[in-house]
Amino acid sequence: MTQPTIQTLNAEALSGRLQQLAQGAGIQQWDLGASCSTDTSVQVDRGEAKQMKGAQRSAITLRVWNGDGLVGITSTSDLSDSGLARALSGARDASAFGNAEETPAFSPLATAPLAPLDQPLHQPQPILSLLDTLKQAERQLLDRHIAIGTVPYNGLAQRSSERLYLNSEGACRHQTLTTASLYLYARAEEAGRKPRSSGAVRLAYGATELDIAGCIEEAAERTIAHLDYAPIETGYYTCVFSPEAFLDLIGAFSSLFNARAVLDGVSLSHRDSLGDCVAVTFLSIRDNGLHPGNVGASAFDGEGTPTAPLDLVAGGMLKNFLHSEATARAFGVAPTGHAGMGAKVSVGADWFEIGATPGSGGGQQGLDRLNHSGPVVVIDSLSALHAGVKASQGSFSLPFDGWLVEGGVSRSIEAATVAGDIRTVMKAVVGFEGLAKITPDGLCPYVWVEGLSITGEA
Amino acid sequence: MLRLEALLASGRAAGADLVEIFLERTDHLGVLAEQDTITSVSPAFGMGAGIRVFLGDRDGFVSTNDLSERGLMQALEQALGMLGLSHSSSNSSPFEGLQVMRDFAAAKLDWLDSCPSLAEATLKLLEGTCRLEHHGSHLQARRGSYSRDWQSVLVAASDGTFARDIRLHQSLGLNVLAADGDHRAGLGRRYGTSDRPDDLRQWDADAAAQEVCSSVGTMLYADYVEAGQMPAVLANRFGGVIFHEACGHLLETTQVERGTTPFAEMVGQSIAHEAVTAIDEGLSDGAFGSLSMDDEGMEPQRTVLIENGVLKRFLSDRAGELRTGHSRTGSGRRQGHTFAAASRMRNTFIAAGPHTPEQLIGSVDKGLYCKSMGGGSVGPTGQFNFAVEEGYLIENGQLTKPVKGATLIGEAKEVMPRISMCANDLELAAGFCGSVSGSIFVTVGQPHIKVDSITVGGR
Repeated sequence: MTQPTIQTLNAEALSGRLQQLAQGAGIQQWDLGASCSTDTSVQVDRGEAKQMKGAQRSAITLRVWNGDGLVGITSTSDLSDSGLARALSGARDASAFGNAEETPAFSPLATAPLAPLDQPLHQPQPILSLLDTLKQAERQLLDRHIAIGTVPYNGLAQRSSERLYLNSEGACRHQTLTTASLYLYARAEEAGRKPRSSGAVRLAYGATELDIAGCIEEAAERTIAHLDYAPIETGYYTCVFSPEAFLDLIGAFSSLFNARAVLDGVSLSHRDSLGDCVAVTFLSIRDNGLHPGNVGASAFDGEGTPTAPLDLVAGGMLKNFLHSEATARAFGVAPTGHAGMGAKVSVGADWFEIGATPGSGGGQQGLDRLNHSGPVVVIDSLSALHAGVKASQGSFSLPFDGWLVEGGVSRSIEAATVAGDIRTVMKAVVGFEGLAKITPDGLCPYVWVEGLSITGEA
Repeated sequence: MLRLEALLASGRAAGADLVEIFLERTDHLGVLAEQDTITSVSPAFGMGAGIRVFLGDRDGFVSTNDLSERGLMQALEQALGMLGLSHSSSNSSPFEGLQVMRDFAAAKLDWLDSCPSLAEATLKLLEGTCRLEHHGSHLQARRGSYSRDWQSVLVAASDGTFARDIRLHQSLGLNVLAADGDHRAGLGRRYGTSDRPDDLRQWDADAAAQEVCSSVGTMLYADYVEAGQMPAVLANRFGGVIFHEACGHLLETTQVERGTTPFAEMVGQSIAHEAVTAIDEGLSDGAFGSLSMDDEGMEPQRTVLIENGVLKRFLSDRAGELRTGHSRTGSGRRQGHTFAAASRMRNTFIAAGPHTPEQLIGSVDKGLYCKSMGGGSVGPTGQFNFAVEEGYLIENGQLTKPVKGATLIGEAKEVMPRISMCANDLELAAGFCGSVSGSIFVTVGQPHIKVDSITVGGR
C-alpha cells in the first residue's frame, strides 16, 4: 500500500524566502515558528477497523515588528510563496494594533546552546500493521474479563514531526521527532448493574516501542476494579490522589506559577509572592520538560529559548515563575523556556516532577491505604477539569473515579465529586505513598491529602 | 471540477464504494482586549482537503494541506491503501459524474468583506471593557474577546454529491474577575451568531457589560453550596447544556456505533418525562449551529429527537447511516478538513412548556436555582457533569442567597425522567461542542426546566 510521504521543512530555504519577502515589504524584524507533521492512526471496534486516518499538516506563525516597534502576527497552513506573502501582509496589518504597553522582543536565549535530548527517531509502521496490533490489543483486553464488552475509546497513532524557530537576527532552532501513542478505554457491565469504564495510555518514540502489554494490563485492572461499586456518603475524607489525578489537579491550577497570569491579574499569585509559603514544608514541585520520561519533549519553546528545569515550589515555598521573554523582562529575570508564540505570548508548564523536598523527610512515613485506621478515598482519575476548576479563584468541584478503602477492603465509588480549594489542598498534604510514577504529564507518587469534601449519592 | 471528478473516478475504479472530497479555506480573526488595551490581534488563514473512502462499512480518511494534483492523489492513494485497495490507471470506473453543483455560497461571496474591519472590532471590544469598568466594582481583570470565523467549503462525492457553501460565525465575549479580600469570583458571557456579517455592529456592549457585572457582583460574596441530592430549576438559554451533555450526545449515531448509548434500542419507547420534547435542527435564522448544508453536502433538517418523552430518532451522518441504519439527518459535521464528519448536534433545545418560570421555582421547598451554567462533559458510561456558574438557593418557593462551587452530576437515563416541568420561555444560546470530529459551533437552549432530584456536588 502507499506509505505517506513524510513532510519536511527546509529551514534555510524558508528563512531565505521570508527574508526576501520581508525586505520587499520594508520589514526589518521578524520571527517565525513552523511545524509540519505526518500522522497515521487507527481505531477498532470489536475486531474490525473502525477508522483509519492519515494526515499531512504544515503551519507557520509569523511575527513582524513594524516601524513603530509594534508587533503583529499571522498563522497559516499555506507555506507557498503566496501564502507566506499573505501571512507577512496580514501580520503587518495586525501590527498597527499592537500593544504599545507590552511589546515582545526576541528572546536573549534564542541562540543559547540547547540541552541534548535522547529522542530516537523511528520509521513509521504501515497502517495495516498498526491495525493488526490494535485489534490484538483490543482482543486481549476483551478476554481479560467477561464483563468487559467493548473498548469504545481506543486508538493507536504515530507521528513524525518537525519544528522550526527562525528569526531575522539569525536564530535557527530545529527539532525532529517521532512519537507513538496507544489508549485503551474499556466499558464493562454486569447484569443488573451500571456500566463502568476505565483505561490506560502509553507513549513512546515509535509504535514498536509502545508498552502494549502494560497498557492492556492497566486498562483491565482499572476497569475490573470498578465493577463492584457502591455509593459513598457525603462528607469529609482523607483522600489519596493517584499520580495522574494529582498531576491533573496541579496542572489545572498552574496559573499559580505562571508569570503571564500574574501580570494579567488572573493568578492566585502576585508579583511579590515568591518566597511565600504555599504548601506543606515537604512538598516540592518542579517543571522539567527535559526529564527522560517526558516523551516528545521540546528542546526549545515558541521563542527559541532552551527548555530547562525550574523549581516552582521547594520546601513548601514558591520559588520561581514560568516565563516568556516579555514576562521575564517585566520581572527582571531570564526567560525560562515556557513561552508559546503570539502577539501576546502565552506561558505554560512543560512536565511536572512532584514529590518530597530533598532532606525534608516527606511528611508521614509508611502511608498505606490498605493498612490505614480510618476510611480513605482513592481518587484514581478526575474528569471535566475544564468545567469544574476555577483557576483564578482556587476552587474546584470535580467528578472522579475512585475507591473507598476501609479496613483493608477497597470498593469502587459509584459516582461522586471532590471539591476544595487548591491553596488548602497544598497545605493539607499528609505525605506520599509508594514510588513516584512516570505519566504523560509528569512524575508523581500517590499523594495523601486530608479533609476534602466528597459528595456522593448514598 | 474536472480534477475532482478524476479523483473520484480513480477511487471508484480502485474498488471503493464511495469517495468523498472535502475542500476547505478558512479565514479567522481573533481580537482580545484587556482592561482598556487591545493586547492581541490574531489573524489566521488556512486551506486543506479531507479525502474519505468507504468500502462496505469501513472507511479510511486522509487530510492534507497539499492541494496540488499530486498531493490530492497521494492522499487518495493513502486512503485507498488503508482499505486494501490500490490505485488503478484503468479507465473503467463506475463513477457517473458529479451532479450540477448546489451553490449555497453564491449569495454569500461578499460576507467576509462585509464584516466589521479590524479597527471597528477593536473599538467595539474596548467599548465593552470600558462599560465593564463603568458597571462593575472590585474588578481585578476585564476582558473582551471577538472571534470571526469564515469558512468556504466544497463537498464532492462519487454518489454525485456536489455542493459548496460559505459559513460565517462571529462571537463576542466579556469576562471579569472580581476580588475583594478573600472573596473572588469570575464569570463571563458569550454571544454568537452565524451568517450575519453585520452582527458585531448591533451588539449592545452596555447591556452585555451590565449583565456580567450584575452577576459577578452577586457571586463575589456567595457561600459554597451544600452538597447533596436536591431538586433544581435550570434557567433558560445556556441551561440547555444539561440536555446537550446529558442526552444529546447519546442520540448521535457515533454513540450507537460505539455501544456507549443506553438508548440504542429504545426508539419508540419512553426515555424522558412526558413534559419533555426535544429538537435538534440546523435551520434557525442566525443561530450558531445553523447550516445551509452539512459537511457531507446534505441540507439540514428539523429533527424531533424526543416527543412527549418518547424517543423518536437519532442524529445521523453518512457513516452512521451505513453502520446503524438510522437515516441521515443533515448532521454530518466536522471542525475542518483534518476531521472526518460525524453525527453531531446543531441547534439543540427542549421545547417550551405551559408553565411560567415562577411556577417552577414556587414548586420547590428546598433546592438549587441554576441561573447560569459553565461547561460540562459526558463520559463513556453516560455519566454527565457540568458546573453551575451562577446559582441561588430556593427556599420555600423563593430565590434566596447566591451559592457557588456547585457541580451537577448524574446519568441521562436517570435524570431525563425527572425533568417534570418546562416553562414557556424558550431561548437559545451560542456555544462550542468538542467531540470526535473536533470543535464545532452549536446552539443549546431550553425554557426554564425543573429537575425533581439531582446530585449537587459542592462542599
